[in-house]
Amino acid sequence: MRDLIKMVVVLTVICACSALVLSFANQATREQREYQVLKYVKEPSIKAVLTGYDNDPIKDRVTLKMGTDKKGKPIRKNIFPAKKGGKVIALAYGSAATGYHGLIEVMVGIDINGKITGVSIMTHTETPGLGARVVEPAFTGQFKGLVLSDALKVKKDGGKIDSVSGATFSSRGVVTAVRQALESFSKIKKEVIS
Amino acid sequence: MSEYLLLLVSAVFVNNIILARYLGNCPFLGVSNRLDTAVGMSMAVVFVITLASAATWIVQTYVLTPFDLEYLQTIAFILIIATLVQLVEMFLQKSIPTLYRALGIFLPLITTNCAVLGVAVLAIQNEYGFVKTIFFAFVSSVGYGLALILLTGIRERLNVAPIPVHLKGTSIGLITVGLLALAFLGFAGMVH
Amino acid sequence: MSVAREFTKGLWDEIPPFRLVLGLCPTLAVTTAAQNGMGMGLATTFVLLGSNVLISLLRNVIPKKVRIAAYIVVIASFVVIVELSMQAYFYPLYKVLGIFIPLIVVNCIILGRAEAFASKNKLLPSIADGLGIGLGFTLSLTFLGAVRELIGAGTLFGRYVMWESFEPLSIMVKAPGAFVCLGLILCLMNWIGAMQKRRQG
Repeated sequence: MRDLIKMVVVLTVICACSALVLSFANQATREQREYQVLKYVKEPSIKAVLTGYDNDPIKDRVTLKMGTDKKGKPIRKNIFPAKKGGKVIALAYGSAATGYHGLIEVMVGIDINGKITGVSIMTHTETPGLGARVVEPAFTGQFKGLVLSDALKVKKDGGKIDSVSGATFSSRGVVTAVRQALESFSKIKKEVIS
Repeated sequence: MSEYLLLLVSAVFVNNIILARYLGNCPFLGVSNRLDTAVGMSMAVVFVITLASAATWIVQTYVLTPFDLEYLQTIAFILIIATLVQLVEMFLQKSIPTLYRALGIFLPLITTNCAVLGVAVLAIQNEYGFVKTIFFAFVSSVGYGLALILLTGIRERLNVAPIPVHLKGTSIGLITVGLLALAFLGFAGMVH
Repeated sequence: MSVAREFTKGLWDEIPPFRLVLGLCPTLAVTTAAQNGMGMGLATTFVLLGSNVLISLLRNVIPKKVRIAAYIVVIASFVVIVELSMQAYFYPLYKVLGIFIPLIVVNCIILGRAEAFASKNKLLPSIADGLGIGLGFTLSLTFLGAVRELIGAGTLFGRYVMWESFEPLSIMVKAPGAFVCLGLILCLMNWIGAMQKRRQG
């Protein structure tokens, strides 16, 4: 009987100590881990849409709560500010819309006047050779300098953007994502620069 | 349906867990000397991997993720596997003693088989649902068994062949596995 | 055996995975480049050292019947610490080693040393044992990684070192190359071992 008690006690103590140490380690490294994941996953896109800054947009990121998802959990969005001399000159953040095959995630860079500084496709599942060609600079470069207006649409819908030939849905998807990013810009700008 | 067929082909041939993913090596070379032990090990592996993956999926989905405890995945999974193997051992010893004796020492040894933990973690990483996870675990372990039986067949022949003394044993075993892996590499183009 | 001897045995006589044929899974998987082999070796050494220390300290406290379970909890805890640390401070290496970092927990070397040594020896020899075997493992992995990287990609630690017209044998960085390479190195070590024995007469 004493043996059984000893076994249970020893195992419980070991497990408890382990749980304590691990939970401490988790807390201590959480920030750094988030930073690393963001850096390696998002940095290329962020670098592609922002220019002329002297800070680390990922380190200076601002996390905003924007609405709730289906399960009622708040959706957290990372906004990456580009600064020069301490002042914010542009913001970069992600947006997504359905293309032809699925969700297309884009990173959009917008300067403080609401002008697009760059668009970069982060993930997509479009058809290779057709819809997938939206990632090419020939397509994404068209968005530079545009603002939220009727020009920011594909040519078929009366705008200035040349869609990728044979991939109207994919092109429209990117346009929708970019427009959505611009639509929330003033609200995001207010919260970040405050 | 075609998804599952694709998964089957992928797990058994293209991404064979031992020949392509390097999981489950330790016992691989130790057990592949005789055909009957190889078959016994294969059955045990299929059984444990499938059960373990189901159990770990349930814990991941209903305990680890909702409580933000994902960093405890490794320790939780290995404890589940160790406990599962222990329970299976006790159950078989009481209910199906012949099977228990046939599997022998391989059953407890499976706890440290990287393939078990590996397949469980892979299923989570690939974000499979419950049914897909069980299917994936089953076919992956079948692929392992297949490779094991193939290797054993070859090694049994090698045992009676003239081999330079320094190559005998593990050394030639590894080279054989390498050639087997090379053959399976030919399947790489099958699944896009 | 003296403490120094406990340390050096891990560097040749009982070097894993060649002499002490354990820990094969990661050996084959991560040795696609010297750097990766070294990274994995050091991570494993950290876990091995930590678990040896703790298990040696607790060897008279843990009841025999539950020792395996206790060892697993200790080892797994160190593995999680390594996982978190690598994800935070060595992210590129963490991505490359991938699934094999959590698999350190089932690396037979660690459980093997815990059961065969740390649970029966005092603290200092256990530290020496863990350090020696861990470093031996790191050496093996780095060596195997270097061979595969050199022949399979023409680089060493990421730097291009082979001559201009060298055509890499890329099969070396894939699964078949790993197995064959390890098999040949093992053969070589058997041969060296036999020569040593003959010399000692």
